[in-house]
Formats: sequence, C-alpha cells, structure tokens
Amino acid sequence: MATRIAVDIGGTFTDLVYFDDATGKTVQGKVPTVPAAPEEGVVAAIAAHVPQEVLTKAEYFLHGTTVGLNALLERRGSTVGLIATEGFRDVLEIRRGDRAEMYNLFWEQTKPLVPRRLRLEVPGRTMADGSTEGAPTAEAVATAVQTFMAHDVTSVAVSLMHSYANPEHELLVERYLREAGFEGGITLSHRVCGEYREYERTSTAVIDAFVRGRMANYLNRLEGQLREAGFTGKCLITRSGGGSMNFSEAEERPFETIMSGPVGGAIGASEFARLIGDKGMITADVGGTSFDAALILEGEPQVLFEGEIDNMPILSPWVDVRSIGAGGGSLAYEDGGGFMRVGPHSAGAEPGPACYGKGGEQPAVTDAAAYLGMLGPGELASGITLDIDAAERALTSVADAISQPVEDTAAGVIRIAASSMANAIREISTEQGLDAREMTLLPFGGAGGMMATLLADEMAMKKIVVPPFAGIFSAWGLLGADMVQSASRTLVRPLTDAALVEFGSVFGDLIASIKARGETVPDAEASLKLDVRYVGQEHTLSVPVPLNGLDLAEPAATIADRFSALYTKTFGATLNDGVEVTAIRAQLKAALPKRDHSGGPTTASTGMTTGDIAAYSFRDKKRVPFKVCPRDDIGTGVTGPVIITETVATTYVDAGWTVRAGDFGELMIERG
Amino acid sequence: MLSKTTTTHPAGLPRNDVSGSSDPITTEVIRHALNSAANQMKRALIRTAFSPIIYEVLDFAVAIYDRDLRMLSQAPSLPLFMGTLNYAVDEAVKGIGGVDNLDPGDVLIYNWSYGTGSHAQDVVIVMPAFHGGAVIGYTAIKGHWLDIAAKEPYCTDTTDIFQEGTVYPGLKLYRKGELNDDVYRIIIANTRMPKAVAGDMGAQVTGCRVGVERFEDIVTRYGIDTFKAAVEDMFDHGDRVIRSYFEKIPDGRYVGQGQMDSDGVTEGVVPFEVALEVKGSDVVIDFSNVPEQTRGPINCPLPSTMSAARVAITMLAGYGEPPHEGHFRPIQVITREGTMFHPVAPAPCFIYGWPAMQAIEIIYRALAEAIPEGVPASSGGCIDSCVWWGVKDDGSPWMDGAPHPVGQGAWAGGDGGTMLHVAESATRFTPVEVWENRNPWVVEQMALAADSGGAGQWRGGAGVDFTFRMLGDTYATTVFERTKLPPWGLAGGGEGRANLCNLAITGEDLQNVSKATGVFIPAGERLEFHTGGGGGYGDPTMRPVEAVHDDVTDGYITKDFARRNYPQWQKAVGGT
Repeated sequence: MATRIAVDIGGTFTDLVYFDDATGKTVQGKVPTVPAAPEEGVVAAIAAHVPQEVLTKAEYFLHGTTVGLNALLERRGSTVGLIATEGFRDVLEIRRGDRAEMYNLFWEQTKPLVPRRLRLEVPGRTMADGSTEGAPTAEAVATAVQTFMAHDVTSVAVSLMHSYANPEHELLVERYLREAGFEGGITLSHRVCGEYREYERTSTAVIDAFVRGRMANYLNRLEGQLREAGFTGKCLITRSGGGSMNFSEAEERPFETIMSGPVGGAIGASEFARLIGDKGMITADVGGTSFDAALILEGEPQVLFEGEIDNMPILSPWVDVRSIGAGGGSLAYEDGGGFMRVGPHSAGAEPGPACYGKGGEQPAVTDAAAYLGMLGPGELASGITLDIDAAERALTSVADAISQPVEDTAAGVIRIAASSMANAIREISTEQGLDAREMTLLPFGGAGGMMATLLADEMAMKKIVVPPFAGIFSAWGLLGADMVQSASRTLVRPLTDAALVEFGSVFGDLIASIKARGETVPDAEASLKLDVRYVGQEHTLSVPVPLNGLDLAEPAATIADRFSALYTKTFGATLNDGVEVTAIRAQLKAALPKRDHSGGPTTASTGMTTGDIAAYSFRDKKRVPFKVCPRDDIGTGVTGPVIITETVATTYVDAGWTVRAGDFGELMIERG
Repeated sequence: MLSKTTTTHPAGLPRNDVSGSSDPITTEVIRHALNSAANQMKRALIRTAFSPIIYEVLDFAVAIYDRDLRMLSQAPSLPLFMGTLNYAVDEAVKGIGGVDNLDPGDVLIYNWSYGTGSHAQDVVIVMPAFHGGAVIGYTAIKGHWLDIAAKEPYCTDTTDIFQEGTVYPGLKLYRKGELNDDVYRIIIANTRMPKAVAGDMGAQVTGCRVGVERFEDIVTRYGIDTFKAAVEDMFDHGDRVIRSYFEKIPDGRYVGQGQMDSDGVTEGVVPFEVALEVKGSDVVIDFSNVPEQTRGPINCPLPSTMSAARVAITMLAGYGEPPHEGHFRPIQVITREGTMFHPVAPAPCFIYGWPAMQAIEIIYRALAEAIPEGVPASSGGCIDSCVWWGVKDDGSPWMDGAPHPVGQGAWAGGDGGTMLHVAESATRFTPVEVWENRNPWVVEQMALAADSGGAGQWRGGAGVDFTFRMLGDTYATTVFERTKLPPWGLAGGGEGRANLCNLAITGEDLQNVSKATGVFIPAGERLEFHTGGGGGYGDPTMRPVEAVHDDVTDGYITKDFARRNYPQWQKAVGGT
C-alpha cells in the first residue's frame, strides 16, 4: 500500500482521486480542464483537493491525458521530416487506397502529417528476409538535412522498408543525420514498431515524431510543477495498451500514450472485476460526447496491437475501447426525411444541453432524460439546477418535425441513444464469440448510471454493477495501473519445436531492448505472447505462452492446442491446417503496491431530499412514481423504479430491477 | 442495330401492405440493428478468411434481405457487389427447388454468372433466417475466390462462360447444419488453390451464420408485425431521401459516352452510352444504346448493370447513408437483352466489372450536363487489377491479386486524392512489405506520378507508378481499362493521364500489356504500372498562385507543367 494520486484530464473536467495510505481513504475531486495549459488544471486540482501532507508523502502520481491525442487531432505538433526508402516517400499519402466513408463520393483523405516536400528518399533496400541491396549514403542524408533545416524541421522520422527485419539502414541514417548536424528528435520506425506493413509503421513513426516535442514539454512542465508543489514520488502516465510508464520513457515513446485518456476506465474496470470476482464484464463509459465500451475478461482488458486516430493508424498496444459519438450531450434532430437521428453532433460543454440553461436550443440526450425525470427532481449535486422547461422547448421542435408527442420523442431520444450504444457493445462481444447476456454491465462516466438499466434491457443482460466513484471512474482506474513496457517483432515461422528456439532468442532480444530504454521497471515480471494463425490466414490471435525464466516453457504442440481452443471460442470452428507464428510480443510488468479497497468512497451529503418523482419507465412505457434515494441509503435492497443520487452522478433504475449496496461501495443491480 | 426489345427493371421493390405498425423511433432503432448485424457478418468474414483478396482487399459484399428479397442492410465492402445479391439469393433458392425446400441450418452456394452478375469466381453463400418456422429473409455474402478452375486463374480472353470456371448452380452446401460432403468435395476438387477456397468458403458460411442469428434476434425482440412495419417505413424513408435529391435536378435526358479499350479478344474500342432521364423525382438509367454482347468477356450481366445504377445513384444522392432497398426505389433501369449490359448465356463475362465501373462514372459524366458542380471529374477510371501466380522455390504454388489506386477526379470545392476507384471504395490494397513476405517479387517503387492529375481550379489526384521486379518466373493477368480514353476534366478542367501497364524485359522495348492474360515475366524482369490521374475541375487560371506554387514545391507537378497550364503562376514567378 502506498499513498498515490491520480489525475485524469478530460475534455470538460479534470478528475482527481487520491488514496491515503495512513487513513485508508480514497478521496475524489473535480476541477474544470484548462485546455490551453492542461498541467495547470492538474496543479489546481491537487491544490484544491489534496492536503499538503498527503502530497508530500505520496509515492506515485498517475496520469491520464489527452495532450498527445489533442496535439494530433488539432495538428499542433512538431514540423516533421520523413526519410524513406527510394521509391517509397509517398507511402504516407497513398495509404491503403481506401475511403473511410464508403458512400461518400467526395471523401477527402486525411492530409499527411508530413507534406511531400519534407518526405525525402535515401538509396539502399532491405528485403523481406533482412538481406540488403545497396545502402543509404551520407550524401543523400546530408542533402535531406539541408532541406529539413530550410523548413525548420525539428523532428525527423526514419521509416525504411523492412526495417523490422533488419534495422541496419535506419541506424545508419540516424548516424548520418547527426553527422550532418541535425540536432532535433529522431524517430526510427523499427524502434516504435517491430512489425511489417510500411504504411502503418511509417504512420506510427511520424505520429511519434509529431507529438514528441509537445509531450516532452508538457511532461517536463507538469513534473516541474509537481516537484515545486512538494511531490517527491514517481510520475507515471498510462499507456494506450494499458498499464503505465514513467514520464522519461513516455518522452521517448510518446506514441504509446496517445490513448492514455480513455484507458483509465478499462484499467479500473479490470481491477474492479478482479476485486468482485467477475469473469466477464462489459464497460459502458457514457460521457458528454462519446460512449466507450470495453470488454473485461477474467479481470483483463482486451488489448489490440493496432489503433487509429483520425484515419491515421498507430501500431502499438491498444486497449480495445470502442467509441461511438453518443453521450449525454448528443443532439437529436429531424433528418429531413421525417426520421429522428441522435448524434454524433454534441452540445459539448458550451452551450451544453438546453436544460443546463446556458443557451442550448437543440435537444440533447440529457434534455430528454431531464424532461422524463430520469435525473431526479432537478437539482444536480454539481450545483446545476435543471431547466426542465428549456428541455421541453428544445424537444418540442424535434417532436413537431416528426409529428410525435413530446413525451414519446423524449423517450425516443433515449431509446435511439441506447440502441446505438447496445450495437457497439454487441459488436465487441459478438466478435469475441461472447454472449453479452451472461455478462455484467459496468456503467460509469457522467451519464453511465442514467443509461444502465436501459442498456442492460437492450442487451438482455441480467446484472449491472455501478462501481464506486462512477462519476470519475477513469481517474480511479489510474490509481491501480501497473507499470508496463512492451516490444514486438514480426517473424513469420511455422510453429514447431525447432522454431521455438528462435522465438526464445527474439524474445530475449526484445526484453533486452526494453531494458536498454533506460530506467526500467524494478522487479518486473516478463510475459510473452505469440501472434498465431493458420497458415494462409492473415488475421492472428495472440496466444500467451508461459515462461521458465526467459525460456518458453511449453512445446509447440501445446501452444498450437491453446491456439485452436482460442480460435474455436472466437470463431465457433477450427481448422485442420498448419499453424504459424507471425509476431513475438514481449512485456515487462510490475504491479504497484496493492491498495486497500475497504474504505469505499467518502461521500459528502448530497443535500437532496428523498421522495418520489413521476419519471418515465421504459418498461411500462409511461410515467410511474420513482423513489428518489441517496446512494448511501441504498443498503440491503431497494426495488426499482428508483433514482439514486450521489455527488457526481445519477443512477436511473427502471421497474423490474432491484438494487443493493455491495461490499466495496458498488451498487449491485439485478433483475427482479 | 436495336434488334431486340428493351426491358424496364425497377431497381427497388415497392412497399408491402402490413398489419402492424411502427413509429419513427422504433424504426430508427431497427435500422441501426440491421446495419449492425451486417457489420458483424463482415467482421466475422474478415477475421476468418484465408485469402488476402478477402481480408485485405475486401473483395466481397455482405447483405441481409427480407423474404421478398428486398435489401434490409449491408456492410461497407465492395459497392459493385452490393446491388447484385438479391438476384443471386433468388436464383440460389430457385436452384434448390424454392423457399419451401429450405430448413433452418441450410446453407446454399451459387455462382452462375447471369444470376450473380459477376464472373464465376465471385461465389455467393446464402443462408435463410427463420421466425416461427417460416423463412423471414436471408443473409448473403458474395466473395471473390482465388480460383475455381477457369482456363487461367484470371482471364481477359474467354469466349464463353464455360471457360470461366466451375458452375455451382444453387446447391445445399449444408443441410440442416450438416455439411453436404459431396458438394464440398466437388468444389475442392475444382480449384488450383484448394486450401484458400476451403478457408474462404468456411469464412463466408461463418459470416452468414452470424448474420442469421442476429437477424432472428431482432425479429424476435420487436415482434414480426412491428418489424415488418418498421422495414416498410425505413424503405419509404430511403425512397424520400433519393427523391429529394432528384427533385432538384432539372428534368431532362442526359447522355454520357464511354468506351472499353477492347473486348479482350477482338481489337478495337467498344463505345457505349448510358443515358439518364430525370422526371420529377424519378430517374431512369438507360443502358439500351450499347453494343450487342461481345465476343470477349466484357459482358456485364444484368445484376451488375443494376448494381452499377444503384451504386452510382445512392453514392451521389444518399447523403453518405448506408443504402437499403428504399434508396433504390426511385430508380428504373432499361436494358436490351443480348447486349453487353444484359448478355445472355453463354456470353463470356470474366471482366464484367470493368464496363460496370465505367458505367458508374459515365452516369456522373451524363449528370455533369445538368449539374457540373454536383459530380466529380473522371477518376483514373479503373481499378487497375493484376492477378499473379507462379511456383515458389519450395515447389508450392502462389497466387495473389489486387486492385491499385488511381487519381480521383477533382470537384467544385476540392482537389482529387489518390485512392481506389469508387466502385471499390471501401477496399484496400496490400502493403508492399506483406506482398514481399508472401510473393517472390521486389517492389522497386510506389510513387505518386508528377503531372498525372488534370489541371484545374481544383486539380485532379495523382496517379501512381509501381515497378515490380520478379524474383521467380511469374504469370500475370492484367486488367487496365481506360488506357485510350483519358480521364476527363469538368467545367474547363484538364485531362488526367490514362492508365498503362508495361512489361519491361531487359534489352527489349517496353510492351503494353494493359489487358492481357497469362503474361509471362521471367525471373529478374519487371512489370510497370502507371495508374491514371484524376481529371481537373474548373478553369486552371482560377487556381490560386499559392496553390500552384505548393504543387510545384511538393512535386505534384513539374515547373514545365505549371508553365503550360497555369499562366498566373508563370506570371508570378517570372521567366523561370
């Protein structure tokens, strides 16, 4: 156990949670995000909510941020130059030739992060087997450097063909860049990603080069301010693939932190699933503009090895969080053909939903919920008094356009949003061959509790767990993040006992390459996954292989059997073909000291009255009396319909559900 | 020589009478659920497929139909396939004796070109969905199989349908969930690539099953009456969306001219025209003024002609929505039996897709007469396909095939990009590093070609130059169409460069092999692709000098090209 502080920066709010080892208490807080200087929001949150003695003795600061993501989305990054293999400077622009919007005749491809004038070529070609023809020359690199300097390039990405198979040419270019006097940051593609697919690898390297300067500045400023405030512990940031890494490594590998923000919730859900012994869980993080769903199996999030931001691929571990543009702020509108659509446009923080009384006129999901009484009597603990009349006015405009009563329209807004969310959940569960009906729904985020029973009804799920700290659950999740480092390499070989020797040696190299990154994780546990497929297929499944020290502890046949079992589970059938390995994935992981969960949230009085409200029941398709009950008063069981209030979130429990308090501050909602 | 009478085909079936009712909200929820079901089918297919042509190139379509074969939903994949599947489902079911012979768990296989609209390699798997013991609809996946024992793995020179591959005339591949081993063995015996075919077939079956489960769930959840009512409302809505677009187009008959470089067997271009008649919100697409069916395999069977019309119109007027049957309703198509857009057996059809994809752009070309600002200039005009095969050092056969990107046409408001032809808009081509791990070749370049896009106020997208050096003896079939009709500009925009494929043998002159079957490329020699650029839009002199300057700096155009096409740039930079 160790005192620790976690801060998660979202678009609207910066959420803070700390765990105090001395008291065993976990404390939460929220301040507005400062978009121009996010670190100031962090410091403000600490100043407002963390007593100095806690800050001074804290051993860890854990951070989730969208700084890298926003730099990328808003194109505020370094001026990047790219060095490519002769004949291949256009890889970034030609991409894979597809259109993200298939039915849009006028779809425009994402503008490459590096303009063509700064995409330069060097001679020399590495082949698929790692052999080479020719080599990059110092002259070609020097010429490139002249161009780069003329254009104030501060960061260079080097992405040469098949560098994952043999990095020699990239290393040579790095040397020549320095010899030619280039002093800025250099990203070598084989260091960010040991896998084939030149477009995806180049894209990853360029993204790394693009966000590197900004991330480094941000992390330096943040760490400086934390130190100034008296923090002496370790600074960690979450990785897109789960776990956390220290700031110094994040400065070197910023591309690994792009999805740092949304991952906190998945990490928290994993820890909570382990805590309550849940085997199969689906998270439903309902925020203002987006809905994020993730699958937690046996207490672990599902990790992919490729992600995508704004149509730009990133080859790095990536917690499979599916996002759709549906949240509390999503706007409803008539589509011109007499139908109502909901989202993806959002009311955002300004003006926000109409019921917030800040000038919003279009109806948002929250307006529908407020109108229907799903949020309780109208006073949110955050100090906002809901303007139900404004919600009704906004809803009326759409109701008139589709010729439906306001009440039905409001219920419709919620139903459409819920069905979009449910479809996203179906796609992640069905894809894994899973039946959502047998799983637990874990709603969190500002509007998670509001949508919980609706989503469960859509999915025919029987059990919902609203975790403690649901309103700031992503930050809470960060508190428990393990420290993780990883590396991977493409190596296509049949899965045989003979090949295992080579895999073992590559695995050893990967672990060594991680350790060469400088400060490494102490007492870390190594683990190995092999990407395995049937010979002839392209898509792989990642199969964990037990280790004996750094050696593979199982024969090929056992690994193949495990792959077949996983394949059958995922796709419902198996094949009689040979099995091959395409990539080796190494990970070092060190758990932070465990925290104590017995304390539960410290809750302030909600200041709300208990009573009844006539709210809309989706089961009964009409308004019925709902009890209104503060979360602390739930106790051993309350039968729905009931609306549960707490400091930062509201939980709507429809008729047909029963809710009781769990052992760790959670709400257990079950059918019946 | 208009010897035979014409036929008018409605592209979308009308509304049914229903007893139940839905509301706009339930309908929207059901629409989402149906699209989601199709997406789940697509994912299951991609993740289990064996051939890069499925999992990388996405050379397939998945769709869900109701009992009347009206399209309920589909997932983004190959547009040109999307509009054909109703015909294939119909014929597959007729093949096994009709709907009454279907049981839950049955899976049908079908590939007769005149029913699928495609060459025989495009094999359709169909699975019925049931509710209360009755068929309520079908899931269907059409996917391109690597080889089904045509005279060559890929052909541009067939002269009848029977040279083009094994025919599966509507058979039960599974009966009540049990594999029909006799059918399976015939399929596997008739392919040069048995493993890939077995794997891809299995993947299509898996995808159809996933879809059926989800489809049946949706109907159960909302009840059959509400479901049926919602579907009618959904179709009506799509109908209105398309009509609202055409209401704004002036009534009239607009004619677009196109041509095929050759029929693949006989020398000489094959000109054809496609006309659009807009009247109120109705649109008629007339394919009757086209040549008699050709000796070579550029004949486009009716389902693909219908699909070309459906794709062209829904992409233009559907506001980016995933289409369904309702979107097709305002469209009627006129064809003449026995012609290249409505051929009859045994006319060869192997490269049917090329006239179909031409037709899509010709429809836009025709519409440009009415609304030039509403359509793009011509793209490179082709998918520039190549299918390759040979034997590796270890004696195992290899085979691969892909479409390649071309420059896109500019439009009022945007320069053209570089991507695959719109007829394959969601498909992708394979990364070079994956190719080189799999196939015995080295790609020496993959570069945007300077000056390949047409000049204009908005310029056309660049074409791409590819050079492949073969490491082992290789055979290739190439299909590069539109090598003789350069991509047209609109509203004063310039032409893009035309497609070209050359065989480059050391010490010999380049040999144009743009449409050729089984081209032999000895080890060490090269095949070069020069894919077409997009046409420009608008008067080039209207392009801002800075934009021209950027194009020069970035090497999209040479100074010489800038001088010739953009006098304003010449004036701004002086005499250089």
